[in-house]
Amino acid sequence: MIEGTRRTTLNRPRNYLLAAGACGAMALMALPLRPYLDLVNIVMLFLLTVFLVSWRLEQGPAVLAAFLSVALFDFFFVPPHLTFAVTDIQYLLTFAVMLVVALLTGQMTAGLRRQARMARFEEKRTRALYEMARALSGALRLSEVVAILRDFLRDIVQADAVLLIPDAHGELHPQDGTRVPYELRLAAAVYDGDADDRRASKAMDGVCYYPLRGSTRIRGVLAVAPLDDEVLLQEDQPLLEAVASLIAIAVERLHYVDVAQQAEVQMASERLRSSVLSALSHDLRTPLTILVGLADTLSLSRPPLAGKQQVMAEAVRDQSMRISGLVENLLDMARLHAGQVRLRREWQPLEEVVGASLKLLEHALETHPVRVELAPDLPLLEFDAVLIERVLCNLLENAAKYSSAGASVEISARQNGAMVEISVCDSGSGIPSGRQDRIFDMFVRGVPESPTPGVGLGLAICRAIVEAHGGTISAANREPAGACFMFTLPVGNPPEINEESLPPEAAT
Amino acid sequence: MSGLHSRVIVIEDEKQIRSFVCEALEQAGCQVFEAETGAQGLVEAGTRKPDIVILDLGLPDRDGVEVVRDLRSWSSVPVLILSARADETDKIEALDAGADDYLTKPFGIGELLARVRALLRRKSRLAGDGSAIADFGGVTVDMVRRSVTRHGEPIHLTPIEYRLLCALLASEGRVLTHRQLLRDVWGPTHVESNHYLRVFVGHLRQKLEADPAQPRHILTETGVGYRFHL
Repeated sequence: MIEGTRRTTLNRPRNYLLAAGACGAMALMALPLRPYLDLVNIVMLFLLTVFLVSWRLEQGPAVLAAFLSVALFDFFFVPPHLTFAVTDIQYLLTFAVMLVVALLTGQMTAGLRRQARMARFEEKRTRALYEMARALSGALRLSEVVAILRDFLRDIVQADAVLLIPDAHGELHPQDGTRVPYELRLAAAVYDGDADDRRASKAMDGVCYYPLRGSTRIRGVLAVAPLDDEVLLQEDQPLLEAVASLIAIAVERLHYVDVAQQAEVQMASERLRSSVLSALSHDLRTPLTILVGLADTLSLSRPPLAGKQQVMAEAVRDQSMRISGLVENLLDMARLHAGQVRLRREWQPLEEVVGASLKLLEHALETHPVRVELAPDLPLLEFDAVLIERVLCNLLENAAKYSSAGASVEISARQNGAMVEISVCDSGSGIPSGRQDRIFDMFVRGVPESPTPGVGLGLAICRAIVEAHGGTISAANREPAGACFMFTLPVGNPPEINEESLPPEAAT
Repeated sequence: MSGLHSRVIVIEDEKQIRSFVCEALEQAGCQVFEAETGAQGLVEAGTRKPDIVILDLGLPDRDGVEVVRDLRSWSSVPVLILSARADETDKIEALDAGADDYLTKPFGIGELLARVRALLRRKSRLAGDGSAIADFGGVTVDMVRRSVTRHGEPIHLTPIEYRLLCALLASEGRVLTHRQLLRDVWGPTHVESNHYLRVFVGHLRQKLEADPAQPRHILTETGVGYRFHL
C-alpha cells in the first residue's frame, strides 16, 4: 500500500523548489515590515511558512523549509543585516528553538497527512474488496470470476493473476490465456498442500501462489504476478489471501451449481427413461391381457366350441402369452442396458429361488423329469431373487425347448472357492460347435433359422444379470448329448444366523 | 362349473378387461358389480356387501394402493390385485396395505377363477368354527396341543419355526410379504432381516416338505413373500 503513496509524492524536486520558493516569498514579504514588527513575530511568520509547507507538501520539503527559514531569518532580519553573523549571542537560542519547532511541526503534519492518506487508501481497498465479493456472488461462469479477479488486482494491487483449476484427474489448467509466468510445478505443490502450509508460496520471479481453500478441499490455485517489473509487497499478502478465499468461495459455489445441474439433468433423463419403459410395459400388457382374456372366454364359452375352433382359441391364447414373454424380455433387456436395473440384493439360500423357478415352469417342464442336486453346505448368497429367478427360468426354458420330451433336465450347484457354480444341463441336441461364446450375444441363436421359437434374447439377459452380480456365465456341450449352462455367483461374507435369537416376548 | 354364489366387485378402468373378467365371473355363478374408478369402486364396496373385491392397481383417479388402504380402514373383504406393472414394489405395497393376493397381467381366466375360489374358500373357513387342526401333505398340526406330526411321526420344531408355521397357516391362500411375516414372527423391530425369514422358511421346508427344493405347500412368491397352500 505504501507503493501508491511513494509513487505520488516522493521523487519530486518540484516540491523542494516550492518549499524554497515559499520561504523566499515569506522573507521578501516580511522585509518591508521589518521596521514595524518585532523579531518574535517575524519568527512566527517563518514558523507558519514551515507549517504550511509541511501541510501541503511532504516531509523532505518541510525539513528544507525549516533550515531555509532559519537561514533567511538570520540573514535578513537578525542584526547585523545581510550577513549570517550574529551580534547578540541569545539569537542562537532563537535559531535552535525555531529549527526544532519547525522540524517537529513538519514531521507531525507530514505524519498526520500520511495517516489520512493511508486511511483513504485502506478504505478504497476495502470497498474494492467488498465490491469484488458482491460481483463474485453474482458470477455464473468461471470466466466471469476470472474477469472480476483481474479487474480488482489491476486496479488495487497493480498485479495480474491466473486461476488454475483442476480437472477430473486433478491436473491443473489455467482458466484464461494470461501472461502470468506461473510454474505448473509450484502451483501443483500448493494445490497438493505440500508448499509450507497456510502461507502463499513465493517463487523467484515474483509470482505468488495461493491455494483456493474450499470447505471440503482445495479447489484450485491462484497465481498472482505484479504488473510491469514491480514487486508484490509484504503488506499486500493479507489482502491477497482474502482475495484467494473469496475466489475459493466463488469457485466452490460454481462447482456445486454444476453438480446440482448435472444431478438434475441425470434425474430428469432417468425419470423419463423409466417412465417411458413402464408406460410401454403397461401399454403392451393391456392389449395382451385383453387378447388372452378374450381367447379364454371363447374357449370357455357355452355351448362349447367345435374342436377346431377350440384349438384355434387356445392357439391365440398361447401365442399371446408368448408375445407377452417376448415383450417382457425386450423390456428387461432395455432396462438392463439403460442401467435402469437396481439390484435388490439380499442374502438368501439358493434353494428357494430354484424351487420358485421350477414352480413357474411347471407347465413347460411337464414332460421333462427334473433332477435337483444342490450341495448341502451351500452358503447364503447375496443376489436379487427376481433377476436370478429370471436367469434360471430362461435356462430351464431353453433346456425344455431344445430337448425332446422325456429327456431329463438337471440343476446342480456347488461351491468352488470364492464362487458358487450353478449349472443347468439338458440332454438335447447341444450347441452347434463354435457358437458357445456367441450365443450370449443379443439376437444370436444356436441355430439361426431354427423351427423352435425364440429371438435370441434370453441368454443375453442371463449374461447381463449374472455379470451385474459379479459372476460369469458359460456354455458347453456334454457327453453323450446335451448342453450345460453354468453361471457363477460370488460367495462374499454371508451374515451369521443366530439359530434361535428370539426377542424375549417371542420366545414364549 | 359349480356356482360360486358370491358378490364380486370388479374395479378396472380398461373396459375390455373389465368385461371379460365380469363375464367369466358371472359364468362361474357370481353376482358382479363393475366400477371404473377407485372412488366409484369404494362406493360400490360400501353399498353392495361384496364377498371379494378385484382391484386394478393402475386406476386413472387414484393410486390402487390408496384404495386398498381406504377399504381396509372399514372392511376386511378379501382383495385380489390386478397389476400391470412388473415392478414388485407396487405389489408389495398393496399387499402390505392389506390386499390378499395378486395377479400379474396378462393372466388367464382359469388362473383368475382359481384365485377367486381360494380367497372365497378362505373367507368361508374363517367364518366357520376355525378348526385347531390343520392337515397338509401328510403333516398334521395341532394348534391346541402345539404338536406337529408327519406321517404319524412327531416332528420337533423350534419356537420360531412353530410361530412361522402358525403365521403361514393362519394366512393360508393369501400372499404374505416378507415384512408381514417378519413382523408377526420376530416382532416389529426385525422387519428388515429378510435373510432370517428365508433361512427359517428353508428349515421348515426341510422338516415338512417331501422335496424341499420343489415345495408343494410353502410356496415362494419371488421378490414379494410367501404363500401357504394346503
